[in-house]
Amino acid sequence: MEEQKHRRGRGHRHSGAVLSIDYYAYASAIRRWNPYFKAAFSMACLVLCLAYDSLAVSAAVILAMAWVTVCLGGLPCRRYLPLLSIPFVFMLLGSAAIAFGVSLHPAGQYRLRLGFFYLYSSRESLLQGLHLMLKALGAVSAMYMLTLSTPASEIIQVLRAVHVPKVIVELMSLIYRYIFILMDTQGRMKKAASARLGYCDYRTALSTFGRTASNLLVVSLKKGDAYYQALASRCYSGELRFLTEQKPVRAAQVVLAAGFLVLLTILWRLTG
Amino acid sequence: MPQTQKKRFALFTVLCLAFAFVPSANAMHIMEGYLPPAICVVWGAVCLPFLVLGVRNINRKAGEQHQTLLMLALCGAFVFVISSLKIPSVTGSCSHMTGTGLSAILFGPAVTSVLGLIVLVFQAILLAHGGLTTLGANCFSMAIAGPLAAYGLYRALQAAKVDRKVSVFLAAFFGDLFTYCVTSVQLAVTYPAAEGGVAASLVKFMGVFAPTQLPLAVVEGILTVVIVIGLETYAARELKEIGYLGGNET
Repeated sequence: MEEQKHRRGRGHRHSGAVLSIDYYAYASAIRRWNPYFKAAFSMACLVLCLAYDSLAVSAAVILAMAWVTVCLGGLPCRRYLPLLSIPFVFMLLGSAAIAFGVSLHPAGQYRLRLGFFYLYSSRESLLQGLHLMLKALGAVSAMYMLTLSTPASEIIQVLRAVHVPKVIVELMSLIYRYIFILMDTQGRMKKAASARLGYCDYRTALSTFGRTASNLLVVSLKKGDAYYQALASRCYSGELRFLTEQKPVRAAQVVLAAGFLVLLTILWRLTG
Repeated sequence: MPQTQKKRFALFTVLCLAFAFVPSANAMHIMEGYLPPAICVVWGAVCLPFLVLGVRNINRKAGEQHQTLLMLALCGAFVFVISSLKIPSVTGSCSHMTGTGLSAILFGPAVTSVLGLIVLVFQAILLAHGGLTTLGANCFSMAIAGPLAAYGLYRALQAAKVDRKVSVFLAAFFGDLFTYCVTSVQLAVTYPAAEGGVAASLVKFMGVFAPTQLPLAVVEGILTVVIVIGLETYAARELKEIGYLGGNET
């Protein structure tokens, strides 16, 4: 996916590495929405999509989430579709393993003899594979609704509110900040190394990659000392506090969201 | 017979298509929505004791010294960056290291479980690798089982006085393979085959993912060795601080 983006010259290069989802989240038109509301709605859709396990519900979730992300969030379709294809390989391989079976003796509705064993499939298992693909796509769209409209720092804020252990939340907010610093550093190292023919053939590339990585850890551990000094001089006592924006929930949003969840239940009742 | 020929041709096309997509695979993250809710909860519960241990461990260390938390955060960010980078590959495809073996060898399995969980959350949020509902299952295979296997193997080989490079390679290699096996088992238990049940399904899942995972494990092993050599050369002091090279931990 990264390569595709580079070839067509689009996608956002965030300090030497592509973290496009983070960029889209900051650029989203529905970033103003309340993060707790978005998280709750997205999780509700995700869980209902999995629990109801019906084609109609999955399709409804896929369409609704695409509508929220693309129409309300203002993310162009041509950016949204490539994102949906990220888990495609896993989905294809996993569903193939579910839809088709291998057996030593003839089995299933459709079978194919390959030497001493049979590759077989049946209507049910093919349907199950399709079912699963749609369900997974629905779940992914529900997760995207959240991650493509809510920056990670706000998601961490939600986690803090649901009482995830303090150490984990603290580590997460620090790690989120360091990721960009380290990616920037790594990007520069990579550029410097490739300017010196560090990636000229496969062997060299492997060794360069490994050495860059070890250097990255060395540099970051050294930086850690400086970060600590900087924090300690500002009275750091093992806890970081961030100012959070107040983002009110609108009644219309809640009503619409609740309506959609009810609609999903009705769909499930009608078709299931 | 035209009928069978047609079928064969169709199968051939499907296989070609499948293999055309294989090279762009990322690590063995079970994608969002691939497991039913009950299974997700079970795997989350399985992870819980390990995570509690890890959090306690970190709390104890961070209580003594505030700097520890910062260092751990840097290590976590490092693991994320390593696992999000495209590693060089022969076919020009795009695959990623898991970093689990490296992290287990450097930081120990208890810390790795917590760092791994956080890295998995960020991979789901920022990269769409894996998912939020499948977090428990992924956490177990990548942040707990894989690192534990790698760490145990590394310690055993070191105790048997095997060369450090060889033991690092083997630990990272088998850590990766173990992760891949655990993920396959998780999928097989969830989706048993109509003929032959879980065992047959396990063979299918392992077979389907083998072409991407076996070369990846070898590359991961080599890279981990290069990284560890680099670290030993340039950062012996820092490594002692985070517990590697004879420091006491876990």
